[in-house]
Amino acid sequence: MIYLDNAATTFPKPAQVIAASNGAMRLYSANPGRGGHKLSAKAGEAVFACREKLAQMFSCSEERTVFTLNCTHSLNLAIKGVLKSGDHAIISSLEHNSVLRPLENMRESGIISYDVAAVEPLDEEKTVKNFEKLIRPETRMILCTHASNVFGTVLPVKKLSALCKRHKLVFALDCAQSAGILTVNMEKDGIDILCAPGHKGLFGPMGTGVLMFSKNVRIKSLVQGGTGSLSLQKSQPDIYPESLESGTVNLPGIVGLSAGLDFIKAQGGERAIHEKETYLMEILKEDLSVIGNITVFNNMHSKIYSPALSLVVDGEHSEQTAQKLDEKNIAVRAGYHCSYLAHNFCKTTRSGTVRVSPSVFNTKREVKFFAFCLNLIAKNGKI
Amino acid sequence: MNYIYIKFSSQTQGEKARSVLKKNGIGSRLRRNPNPNHKEGCNFALFVFGDIFRAFDIISQHGIQTMGIERFGDGK
Repeated sequence: MIYLDNAATTFPKPAQVIAASNGAMRLYSANPGRGGHKLSAKAGEAVFACREKLAQMFSCSEERTVFTLNCTHSLNLAIKGVLKSGDHAIISSLEHNSVLRPLENMRESGIISYDVAAVEPLDEEKTVKNFEKLIRPETRMILCTHASNVFGTVLPVKKLSALCKRHKLVFALDCAQSAGILTVNMEKDGIDILCAPGHKGLFGPMGTGVLMFSKNVRIKSLVQGGTGSLSLQKSQPDIYPESLESGTVNLPGIVGLSAGLDFIKAQGGERAIHEKETYLMEILKEDLSVIGNITVFNNMHSKIYSPALSLVVDGEHSEQTAQKLDEKNIAVRAGYHCSYLAHNFCKTTRSGTVRVSPSVFNTKREVKFFAFCLNLIAKNGKI
Repeated sequence: MNYIYIKFSSQTQGEKARSVLKKNGIGSRLRRNPNPNHKEGCNFALFVFGDIFRAFDIISQHGIQTMGIERFGDGK
């Protein structure tokens, strides 16, 4: 199988991730921090080790590094834990439904309002201006994707964070497609809230995610319950990260994620991974550029993008193209990629798109074979 | 049996303190507090292998929140 669906989740996982999760399950799968015995303490130490690595990687404090189930969970906490009645938020025209739907849910309930700023893929200044035009007195937050999950477009993070500082707004960044691939530094980049999945570019198992936030922000808990601390208090303890981590955390997942972070480091860090994936993307773009009857949606002229590209074979729904590729054991994602806004913005709601997203485990040969098969589909309608 | 330890309401703060002490060459072990306050319930105790007062100063310098140093035991 040639797996080119890494924007959905990375596969394969590094061997050390599998070994670490397996080891945690077999050797010390006790409830972290709940028991007084050695196994519980060992589990607690392993959870903290991962928290410490994440805090270091993204430049945040360990206390404000919260484990979640996935990036959608992190985004819901960031949105519903920060926005209050009457607040207004601004998002980009490339957002995933995990940003749009919680906001729309709050809007339908009459709690908040929000606006969508158009992204100009090759004009950062214009993009920032589009956001600025929408700021109102009641605006509290700008929340946007770092990189589009459909097109790989990277948003001007530093310029948007500067805009937020000027207007005293909370700047929240969805790093679903960038964590582990593009360098993100919360302090230097002025990011107040960062949401990331553990199972994509960070190479952890599914069921892991992270929410990180600066000292300027308070996030209220959406789920209350046991935290392993201050148990005779009726109300939820006001201590981070525990107040946002009620219930037993995903120990095998977190230990696997910790090994995923070690894997990134061993590869030479995010920059080295991005370089390798960009190399594959450039080969792909070159091969696709000579194929007729297809439309490619990507920042062909942009220097920095995340490794995802969308395309359509003219006259065919993307799901049909993906099925033909699957018959040749090529895994790509088709359809709408959970992004109502992005497909409306790029007018691809009729056919959806075929999304191709390589990872460090892919080879030049695999990418070229994909382009070869796509060429046959575009020419003959079959492989 | 007598115990002396640094008390934390948060396991993460306790682990962070353990990590900071380790970087400063001081070993420690985080466990559940053997003598939790009956008004609050569970919390955590960091047992330091060395000078606990020096350890406490290092932890405080790193801005890690503690609930102070606690002694517990039968005095024997």
